[in-house]
Amino acid sequence: MKKLKSFRYAYYLILVTVFQILSFIQVLSKCEEDKAQLSVILLSFLLVEWFYVVAMRVTIRQKSFELELIAFFLSSVGLSLIATVSVDFAMKQVIYILAGVLIFIVMRWLIANADRVSLLRMPAAVFAAAVLALNLLLAQDYNGAKNWVQIGSFSFQPSEFVKIAFIFVGAATLDKLQTTKSVFKYLIFAAGCVGALFLMRDFGTALIFFATFLIIAYMRSGDWKTIAVICVAAVLGAVLIISFKSTVAARFATYRHIWETPYDEGMQQTRMLIYSASGGLFGVGLGNGKLRDIYASTTDLIFGMVCEEYGLILGFVILLTFAAILVYTVASAKSARTSFYVIAACSAAGLLLVQTSLNVFGVTDLLPWTGVTLPFVSRGGSSMMSCWALLAFIKSVDPRAYPKTFKETQLAG
Amino acid sequence: MHNTVKRAFLLLFVVGIFVVGTVILGFSFFRNSEEWATHRANAHIYSGGQISAAGTIYDSEGEILAQTKDSKRTYNPDSAVRKATLHAVGDTEGFMSTGVHALFESELTGYNIVSGTYYLEKYGIGNDINLTLDSKVCKTAYNALNGRKGTVGVYNYKTGEIVCMVSCPTYDPENKPDNDTMNSDAYKAAYINKFLSSSFTPGSTFKIVTSACAIENIPDIYERTFDCDGEYEVGETAVICNGKHGKQSFEKALNNSCNSAFAEISIELGKTKLQKTAEKMGLTSSFEVDRVPLSRGTADLSKAVDIDTGWAGIGQYTITANPCMMMTLMGAIANGGTAVEPYYVGSITTPKGFSVYKAKTEYANEISLNADTAEKLTDLLRSNVTDYYGDSSFPDLEMCGKTGTAEVGDDKTGDNAWFAGFSQRVDFPYAIVVLIEDSSSNARQAAIPVANKVLQSIGG
Repeated sequence: MKKLKSFRYAYYLILVTVFQILSFIQVLSKCEEDKAQLSVILLSFLLVEWFYVVAMRVTIRQKSFELELIAFFLSSVGLSLIATVSVDFAMKQVIYILAGVLIFIVMRWLIANADRVSLLRMPAAVFAAAVLALNLLLAQDYNGAKNWVQIGSFSFQPSEFVKIAFIFVGAATLDKLQTTKSVFKYLIFAAGCVGALFLMRDFGTALIFFATFLIIAYMRSGDWKTIAVICVAAVLGAVLIISFKSTVAARFATYRHIWETPYDEGMQQTRMLIYSASGGLFGVGLGNGKLRDIYASTTDLIFGMVCEEYGLILGFVILLTFAAILVYTVASAKSARTSFYVIAACSAAGLLLVQTSLNVFGVTDLLPWTGVTLPFVSRGGSSMMSCWALLAFIKSVDPRAYPKTFKETQLAG
Repeated sequence: MHNTVKRAFLLLFVVGIFVVGTVILGFSFFRNSEEWATHRANAHIYSGGQISAAGTIYDSEGEILAQTKDSKRTYNPDSAVRKATLHAVGDTEGFMSTGVHALFESELTGYNIVSGTYYLEKYGIGNDINLTLDSKVCKTAYNALNGRKGTVGVYNYKTGEIVCMVSCPTYDPENKPDNDTMNSDAYKAAYINKFLSSSFTPGSTFKIVTSACAIENIPDIYERTFDCDGEYEVGETAVICNGKHGKQSFEKALNNSCNSAFAEISIELGKTKLQKTAEKMGLTSSFEVDRVPLSRGTADLSKAVDIDTGWAGIGQYTITANPCMMMTLMGAIANGGTAVEPYYVGSITTPKGFSVYKAKTEYANEISLNADTAEKLTDLLRSNVTDYYGDSSFPDLEMCGKTGTAEVGDDKTGDNAWFAGFSQRVDFPYAIVVLIEDSSSNARQAAIPVANKVLQSIGG
């Protein structure tokens, strides 16, 4: 029985791989030119996935791969959809996934050691502040928000990387007493980050940061009342800004009114709903969708493409996957080695869930649309890499996942 | 550490909120997916604002009324059939909200939340809809109306199948007149199916209701005689009759369609009873005929004084009736009081031939008519034909019925010429309503020939 259990990861790996191979076959059958190139791209994805699992199994005798396989599964859903749209996009996406996996490994190593964590805390905070400041100075207006920085032909979203530092700084506290007082310095840092994002008009990310801050502050202090006061203050502040800044209000004018302007402002969201519904429970098949022709289909609207081409069932499975990650994290919390890992893992899992909510409930008009990506699935490098980095925090909650060598350094330190 | 772990469990609350959101999203898909998927912006179904992929619409004889060929919607090759069935079939541009194209959009496109538009993609077609209409009969009705505005409806009062449903003015969906023409007087209300969605002053056809009220409330109505000298005086005013009928029985008064007699009967019955009978017989009610709610008629006599009640009893005053409801009432009388709901969508089948919908005979509880009254009305309506219009007007049909020439608008406009009736033949259980608007001749000359032509074309 015990032996069987230790092979469970292989069973999961094979299941996920079967799903991926079936998806990729369909993607290739829809591809007319560059078939060879696309085959190489998709094959390299499978190689990255298998190589990661085998390498971790062999080198550090890791036995649990649930989180990574979920991330690989989500990444492959996104990659398949993106590959039917453009081979070029798929090429980039697979590189981002590889980069994400590498960052994931480095991050795991980095946070395994408590000394390293406390040493890196200040630099991380400075890095985050510097990046956001740079972003504010350099960014061009892009769809009403200034959250992109372009250097040469390479553009990226700095706030995605600040997410990692934000959790790192927040969770890495050496204070023995976890009180409101010890949170105060972090509060100033967090207010700075959220404020900078607000100035960039990246309200979605600002909201994600704010929610993450609340989780961290609560986990650290357990102080309900202060957090309630902060919440009320934030809501009042938001209401004030929206009522006095007409430009801000205008960005949310279509909220709950998308069907009134299906050929103008409501275009993307109505198409997202129309085509999600067209998919039915089982989808119209990869490459057969129509949402692909709509602007931002593979980024903000990718949930719609999932529903249309893979079907509503898979769309909702993906939603529940993000909930499952947080449940898994909470359930594993008691076996974590220190409270740093508990806080880091919970806030990272919470962040992913909040971001998923803002993306999915935003494009479907249940919440105002703020234009954040769907973790692991949406096309884009910054988002993909930051998601894998956040996954390293979540992974840290599970001591089984830690390599022997990591443990030794930790003990030695 | 211990505290932190305990606090972590509170995050399950966040998961809870997320799950609630997911359930709301799922519910909203479940509830709205059909509406969303059949939106005109859906490129799976529409191209250039027209339905490009949908199933075939057949008439009862298997004649194709509309189909998709090479991503284009085409109609029956006969222009008269296209015009005669337009209101039932509907257009693909969305002007006709009561046509099958609009009402059964998701069925025609084969959409459902389980398979989405997958089958549409795979087979290029959706479900087929089989109407109970006989395009040949519809064409006969369209030709018989001969350019006049109005409507003709015929249904099998045993099963509920509508075999004929024509509304004029109509147009040819394959050669649609330009916008200016469509907006002109000649095409006024062309997008409306008058049979289902309009109500008209019923004139003397309403005397059927008044008769029913009299049968049920005046015990000696058959022994009474009514004297007509061309009008029935009520104080200073009078209800004018269409002739001087002299002394006549109740039955003869109905045959003659004597306004004097019926004004007298109405005033004797009183407005409360008259209104109640009209309501009981369904004239102010509505039910859905294949998802189209019937236009409600009106019979509000609450403010009527005696003279008004007199006019109301002969179907004037503010009385209105919906043609389909009138036809259903005829069916109820023919059926001994049981009203069968009419329908024209017989069945819907998938591309593979599976039946996804099959109409069944349902009863219209909106019409309540007791068997005794129904039998007496049948005898009265039969005598109208045998003793007054003549069986020669309806050869071999054993017809029962009543005409009505309703005065509407000013003197310049013509009258509404009605005929409502049914055949008593067991092998020919059809009820009919004919309405010709702005008619230059009376109902007997205008509506009866149309009714006969249409009925004779059934099954022939």
